[in-house]
Formats: sequence, C-alpha cells, structure tokens
Amino acid sequence: MASPLEQFVDNVRTMSASGSFRELCEVIGKSDEVLQRNSAHLPTVLETLDIQQHSLGVLAVLVAKFSLPQGAEVDKANMFKQIHDFITNCNGEQVRFSPELYAELCHLLTNHLVDIKQPIRGIEILKKAIRKIQLFDSQLTSIHADLCQLCLLSKCMKPALEFLDTDVTGIGTELGGNNDSKHFLLYYYYGGMIYTAMKNYDRALYFFEVVVTVPAMVVSHIMLEAYKKYILVSFILHGKILPMPKYTSQVVCRFLKPLSVAYHELATSTHAASKHRETFVRDKNMGLVNQVLSSMYKKNIQRLTKTFLTLSLSDVASRVQLGGPSQAENYILNMIEEGEIYAMINQKDGMVVFLDSPEKYASPETLCVLEQQMAACTKLHQYIQEMDEQIQVNPQYVKKSVGSHDEDIPATSQNSKTTYSM
Amino acid sequence: MITNFDKLCGELEKQELEAPTGIASPSTYAQLLAIYLYQNDLCNAKFLWKRIPQNITSSNPEIAAIWAVGQKLWKKDLPGTYHALAAFNWTEPVANIIRALEDKVRERTFDLVGRSYSSISLDTVVSMTGLSKDAVLHVCRDRKWVLNEDGVTVSPSPPTQPAPLHTSSEDQLFKLTEFVSFLEN
Repeated sequence: MASPLEQFVDNVRTMSASGSFRELCEVIGKSDEVLQRNSAHLPTVLETLDIQQHSLGVLAVLVAKFSLPQGAEVDKANMFKQIHDFITNCNGEQVRFSPELYAELCHLLTNHLVDIKQPIRGIEILKKAIRKIQLFDSQLTSIHADLCQLCLLSKCMKPALEFLDTDVTGIGTELGGNNDSKHFLLYYYYGGMIYTAMKNYDRALYFFEVVVTVPAMVVSHIMLEAYKKYILVSFILHGKILPMPKYTSQVVCRFLKPLSVAYHELATSTHAASKHRETFVRDKNMGLVNQVLSSMYKKNIQRLTKTFLTLSLSDVASRVQLGGPSQAENYILNMIEEGEIYAMINQKDGMVVFLDSPEKYASPETLCVLEQQMAACTKLHQYIQEMDEQIQVNPQYVKKSVGSHDEDIPATSQNSKTTYSM
Repeated sequence: MITNFDKLCGELEKQELEAPTGIASPSTYAQLLAIYLYQNDLCNAKFLWKRIPQNITSSNPEIAAIWAVGQKLWKKDLPGTYHALAAFNWTEPVANIIRALEDKVRERTFDLVGRSYSSISLDTVVSMTGLSKDAVLHVCRDRKWVLNEDGVTVSPSPPTQPAPLHTSSEDQLFKLTEFVSFLEN
C-alpha cells in the first residue's frame, strides 16, 4: 500500500479514537487527491475501517471511489449496496461534522440511480439519510432535492409528502451560507411539481413562489421554469395571475416576464393555447395548460353565482359556452362535490338555485380550525423572536448597525459594543 | 368484512419501496391500486398505474381491470364505474377491497345527490348508483327522501351531519389561558 494512503488510514484511526473529528475533517479535506490517485487500493482501505467507528473516513473513501471520472474502472454494481450499508450503519454524530461530503455521497447515489433508471430504489434510503443528518424535523438539507427528484422520476410521490408538508425553519450548513443555491431552488421546484401532480395547487403555488422570490443577482433557469408553472397554477387556482410579492428581486421581474410571453397571453386571449402550442409542448407544460382551459369554465360558473340566485341549466350552458344543459349539470354537480360552489339542482324544472355558503362559523369544527390557526401563529411568532435574538447578537450585524450610527467607534472593540447596542 | 385498509396501504407501500429491484409483485400492485381507489386518492392511483412496469400490466388483466374502474372514477363517469366493476371476475384479496370500494362509491353518490339536488328523476338516480329501481326506492325510504306524486321524481334531503365532536370545557379553558398568556407577553 502506498505510504500517503497508509498515513491517511492511520490518521483516521487515531483521530476517530481520540474524538477529534474537526481536525479529521481538515485532514480529509486535504487528502482528496491522495485517495483519487490510489483508487485501486480503496477497497482494501475500506476493509480496514469500521463503518460505525470511522464513519468520516469511510465516507471520504466512498465519495472518492464513486466520484472518479467516467473513464476509470469503478464497480458500480456494488455501489448501491455499499452506500445503503453506510447510511444505515454510520454514526450520525460523526458525519454531521462533514455534511458536505455526506450530501455529496447522496447526490452520487441519486445520479447513479437516475442513470440506471431505477429511481424508486433510492427513496427509502434517502429518507433514512435525511432523518440521520437532520438536527430537527424542519431542517432543510440538500438531500431533500434528491429525494424529490427520485420521487418525481419514479412517479411515486407519496413518500416525499411527509417532508414537503413540514414547513422549513432551518437550513443545513452545506446548503446555506455562501454555497450554491441550486439544491435549494431544486427542492422547491420539484416540491411544487409534486404538489401540482397531487392537485394540491395551494401549496404548489407557494412552493413556486419561494423559488421565484429567492434573492438573486442573476436569473437561474430553475427560476424561469418555476415562474412559468407559477403562472399556470395561479390560473387554475385563482383564474388570474397573482402579482409577485414586493420582495421579489428586480432582476427576476425584468428578465422572467419577457421570457414567458406565451404564458402571460393566456390571460388575455382564449386562442393563446393553440397559438403557442409549440412553446407549451416544448416546455412540457401542455397538460397544465389544458387544465387551465377547463378551469376557466369553473371560474365562469363561480362568477354566475355572484350575479344570479336562480338560473336555468340551459342559460348556464349558453353563458359559460358549454355544449348543453346536461354538460352544465355535470360541471355544477362536480363543483358541488369539490365544494367549489353551493347550489341545488332541480332536475324537474331544469333549474339551479345558487346558495350561500352553509357555514355559519358557529360549529365546533370552526373553533377547532381557529385554534389550530392561532397555535400556528403563536409558533411563528416564537420563531421570529428567536431569529431576532440571534441576529441581535450576531457580531457582523452589531458592527454594521452601530457603525452606521456612529462612525467614530473603532470596529475592533466588538464585545463591548454588543452590550452597548442592546 | 371490512379490514383496516389504511394500515394495509402503508404495508404495501413499504413493500414496493423495499423491493430489491424496485419492482414489486403483481399482487402488491393490484391491492395497492384498489386501495388507492377505495380511499378516493385518484392522483396516487394514477401515478401507481403509470409506474407499474408494462410487462406486469399486460400479463395481469386484473390490474388493468382495476385501473379501468379508476379511469371511470377519474372522469366521474358513475354508470361506467359500476359497469367496469361488474365486468371483471375479481379474485381475493382484491375482491374484498373492490366490494368495499363499490359500497363506498355508492354511499358517496347518495350523499352527493342529497346535497346537490332538490328534485331528481328516479332514472338518473338509478344510473348514478348502479342499483335496480326497487333498491333505489328502498334507499330513498331509508333516507326519508320523498317520492313525488308523478312517481318518477324524488325530492332528496341533505344527509345529516355527523354529531359534532365534543371538547371538554377544561381543555378549552386551558387553550384560552394559553392564548391570553401569549397576548399578554
């Protein structure tokens, strides 16, 4: 065995034993090249290390082994099994010292499964991987995006929902800071697509909005695609394009709109769908566009309920431009089932009576909903307070806020100023 | 015989995810698909149908038959649904789920009719529920729907709401205290 490699194994053993994982991370960071160069000996190295005791070392070796350039000889056949064993047995405490490497390993596995077209196999193991590295349930890691990608590709969305339904309150270190925002954007983009597929349009709209409102200096392609879907979902849900929130980056507004003209035209002309058919098909959004068109009938019927109390079915059909009374009856029946309108159909007279919402807001259910909402608000308030406290004691913030008020105080006396600013 | 389908559903989903090659057994797929339909979770049913490998769907006519029912449900074609349900000779364990599914669809339809019609022709109810005329009349009596004098239309009444869930006053007091203490601080 080559000597630098021996040294690496030695380091891993002694440092793991003494518990100095932070130093070990530094060593690992520097030994990248050594590992890559000695790829032939890596299996032997793996045998000498124990997954539970030397998790960090094994992690480094695995990443080095599977990230070799395509030309090199790597046995991909065992890859799934090895990573599976590692994620199941590794020491969570240890790998948390190097979330970047851990996430890298998961990305490698994801790419491999996508390549061999068996995405469904990775879902369980990535779920496990996320649970292992998370400090708390609502922490977002860059592995989340991988999970969503696998779920979408395998058309098996349900497993991702438990993660998507949890609102994020913290971001893993490998994802935050100055790092690439790609996985953050991807998570929300894929998440939005999953919710759209599940017809949970409310939540989908929120996810696409998050993508588009990420503070940005340049526009990413993910943002553009998310914006297109944002428009379509907004049509399905509200019948119009909801304006973007004020805190959207200017660059986003300036560049995204001209790039998605076809989508904006849907609002003004009914022929836009056929006119821009090619664009929609190319963007793979034709299915959503068709849903927009059929939701327009529903929106029109909903509008009728605001003007009329009673209407004959044939009148409904002609006003909404449907084929005939029976088609109108069908639409209305479906809408009643979905709870989108309140109405009574009288088949004998061929009339429909539009009613007000029967909700009197006096039932125990309403109270229950109210209590849940209040609890959510209290929780949110708590989070904001915690965040505020964190920011107030952040040296950088203190330096800046004090510095702008009073230029004279030298920046070095930071500690004394912390108390001064509070 | 109603077993706990939700629990079975979780087990089947797990079986599929843990299958070594990513492909589960045809019987797993068939049951899962039927349960999704029973839960009226049409989105998940549709995607399950799409992800079942083609060689399995073509060699297992039962799965295809289940999805034929799913398609009718997706299109809200109720007469077609009953037709599709009756068209196949179901085998256990799927047959059990299918029976429960049929009852549930019918139950939902009666509730829907009760909520959305003030008068409806008997023939429409017959085709919407896939029952015989006598059976429909029987259900109408059970639900206290009035048959009009002309003998062809009924006046449905809305289904009764389930009894409201009762919370103890102590519990409410506790929540109120918490709320006030939040506002005060």
